[in-house]
Amino acid sequence: MDIIMECKNVTYSYPLTKKPAIKELNLKLERGKFYGVIGENGSGKTTLCAVLRGFAPSFYKGEIEGEVLVEGKKIGEYGGELAKKIGFVFQNPFTQISGVKDTVFEEVAYGLENFGVPAGEIERRVIDVMRMTDIEHLAEKSPFELSGGQMQRVALASVIVLEPDLLIIDEPTSQLDPEGTESVFAIIQKMKEKHKTIVLVEHKIDLIAEYADEVLVFKDGAMIASGDKKEILSDMSLLEQGAALPQVAILGRKLQEKGLPLSTIPVTEKQAVEVIAEALKERKR
Amino acid sequence: MEKSYIEKIQIHKTNKVAGLHPATKFLVVIMYTICTFVLSSVSLTKIDLPLLAIPWFLVVLLLCAASGALKKCLKALKAVVFIALIIFVVQTFLVPGGEVLVRFGILRICEKGLRTAVSLSFMILDIAGIFVWLFQTTENKEISRALEESGMNYKAAYVFTSTLQMINILSDNSKTIMNAQRARGVETEGNMFIRAKAFFPTLVPLVLGAVMGSEERVLTLEARGFSMQGEKTHLFNLEKSGAEGTFKAVSILITVLVVVGRIALWIL
Amino acid sequence: MPGGAGNETVKHFIKEEMPKGIPGCPKNVDKKEEIPKGIPGCPKCVDKKEEMRMEKKKYSIKEDFSMLALLIIPVGVAVNFVGGQLASLLKLPMYLDTIGTIFASMLCGPWVGAVTGALTNIVTGIANPVNFAFIPVNVLAGLVTGFLARGKMFSVWWKWILSMLIMAVVSIVSSAPIVVLVYGGVTGSGTSLITAAAMAAGANIWAAFFGTEGIFTVLDRIISFLICWAVIKVIPARTLVKFGCGSNYIKEK
Repeated sequence: MDIIMECKNVTYSYPLTKKPAIKELNLKLERGKFYGVIGENGSGKTTLCAVLRGFAPSFYKGEIEGEVLVEGKKIGEYGGELAKKIGFVFQNPFTQISGVKDTVFEEVAYGLENFGVPAGEIERRVIDVMRMTDIEHLAEKSPFELSGGQMQRVALASVIVLEPDLLIIDEPTSQLDPEGTESVFAIIQKMKEKHKTIVLVEHKIDLIAEYADEVLVFKDGAMIASGDKKEILSDMSLLEQGAALPQVAILGRKLQEKGLPLSTIPVTEKQAVEVIAEALKERKR
Repeated sequence: MEKSYIEKIQIHKTNKVAGLHPATKFLVVIMYTICTFVLSSVSLTKIDLPLLAIPWFLVVLLLCAASGALKKCLKALKAVVFIALIIFVVQTFLVPGGEVLVRFGILRICEKGLRTAVSLSFMILDIAGIFVWLFQTTENKEISRALEESGMNYKAAYVFTSTLQMINILSDNSKTIMNAQRARGVETEGNMFIRAKAFFPTLVPLVLGAVMGSEERVLTLEARGFSMQGEKTHLFNLEKSGAEGTFKAVSILITVLVVVGRIALWIL
Repeated sequence: MPGGAGNETVKHFIKEEMPKGIPGCPKNVDKKEEIPKGIPGCPKCVDKKEEMRMEKKKYSIKEDFSMLALLIIPVGVAVNFVGGQLASLLKLPMYLDTIGTIFASMLCGPWVGAVTGALTNIVTGIANPVNFAFIPVNVLAGLVTGFLARGKMFSVWWKWILSMLIMAVVSIVSSAPIVVLVYGGVTGSGTSLITAAAMAAGANIWAAFFGTEGIFTVLDRIISFLICWAVIKVIPARTLVKFGCGSNYIKEK
């Protein structure tokens, strides 16, 4: 198993607080896997992202115990170089702008300029990423003229262009309309196809069910469950813990209880249609 | 073939004066300012007026015209001219001292008043004028890049550039907030107290939003490798118009002549 | 709260040195009152006084300019700019164009405040170079406010009033020579016309300037400060601790 990142018994508290925001976290992230993070508000999902990116405690201050390792090395030892390893995208599309660039092209190129990549290579890489994220038509616009959805795609592009091994994405669509959400997930899908390691925090459980390989469930700062998405998302006991589960999974379980012989609990709509249709066919016979 | 994006963000100027490298322009500004001080110290006419500062202003106009930006510069000069004019009028009529030259009713013009009026107002007009030329013919992006080129720390250069953008953003935001507050019934007309009170519901949310935004901006910048050590690439680069040498030589030559002339006047 | 800006590194230092597993040793130094006294072997309990003395010395200019402070500078400059715009839009007889400088100084200390002040006049000087002459005034405003903030001079009402007066006096005293000597007392703004009128009525140029500028400058500082205070009050404590002087404004619970 190729482990890209590991948390060893990590407990973190923000300054001025007594209660830790992350409690005794043990987590191994396998290279190339897609991790969906779920849990109610205030359960520590965003803090998890900050810890995994090293912003907690380096920026947020506070106290951390335990170890966070990136490819076996302590995260604190990377310093500014961490930007090469880990990409970070968060909720608010409007603050994810460098604030010094006049066009979307320059905005996306900003990170590569900081990396000292030669100009010709920057041009090529930025164009590729702009095509992939469907923002090439915005290339010469000012980043401040864009809609939320467009801006979030620019934010994603600006990070993807750096080609990090691990992408941490914290509720990228919570401030977007359905159309914007769809366009952002189209990009995430492409990153999945490229076998990037992805950690995605997302409230929209159906999207997690569709894209994730593994699901991590948080409650009050503790990871209460983790594992294969089919297993986790069909575990009805998590409902009592306040976690949201896909509607189709709940429906599946209810149908099973009513006596419909489902072969498995579906977690996505597509699976639900297949499984239920199969069960109904079975019944008719 | 279509132009590359990097090509598109460059600034090409056909005008040789406007297209001067910002560092050369800055040298011209410094030399001009030195000359202004020297020239203002030369007193002419029998009441000792520093009249040389007046024709010296023509150099500013000449530079603006040669840069093909006379209209733009005149527009920016308006504010400066207004201030100079007020200073001129106030000083002329209000400062007592020396012989009374002219008298209209209660107003009188004294020798000393006229002298300070001419020297102050034209000194301001000249020095502010040459800066107007510099800034009206140089884009902000060029100034930022020139600062970095001159060895300024990348963090300081970031602060400068980001400030220029932030002003536009916050100005726009303040208008939005003010309109929203008006719609909610915050009064912006009336006596001074009412108007002063309207200040709060606009500025407080504005500043708060900007501070919270800065916090996230730190994360954004770190994620984009802002504190990465080592040489950075610059996609935007300054160009030279080719007339740099001439301008440097001429401005230095004129300054030397002016200084030498002034010293000669002293001695003779 | 006694934990000033500088104790972050001190804390880290102590944390690393701290032997693990001493029973009863508190994890959080911020909560002084909860620290049980005299637990043997716990370094945090031993040198509280020592630690506070170290804090006093521990203001370094380099640390003042953290990433967050760097980003507050543009905000401060823009707030100065917008404040000035808004004041003239509302036809107030004050400039109100140092709010951002005061804000930056209150949160990040004197040096960041001074840079904010200087940059304000440099940037507005691009449009109107006359503003260059007033750079020292704004730099001083930042420095004075910053040192007052570090000295916790905004904590009690009487200190607060004293601070207002100090800020106003510094502003007038530093701008007076510039206005009088460079501009002959009149800069062309609303208040300077009153100065001109007073001069016409026979008042001394310095007296005219101090009289009219004085009242409005004090008012200006009070309004500016109230705005900064109102903002700082609503910034969450979690954010405040990240600023150099931020912990001065966090109420003890």
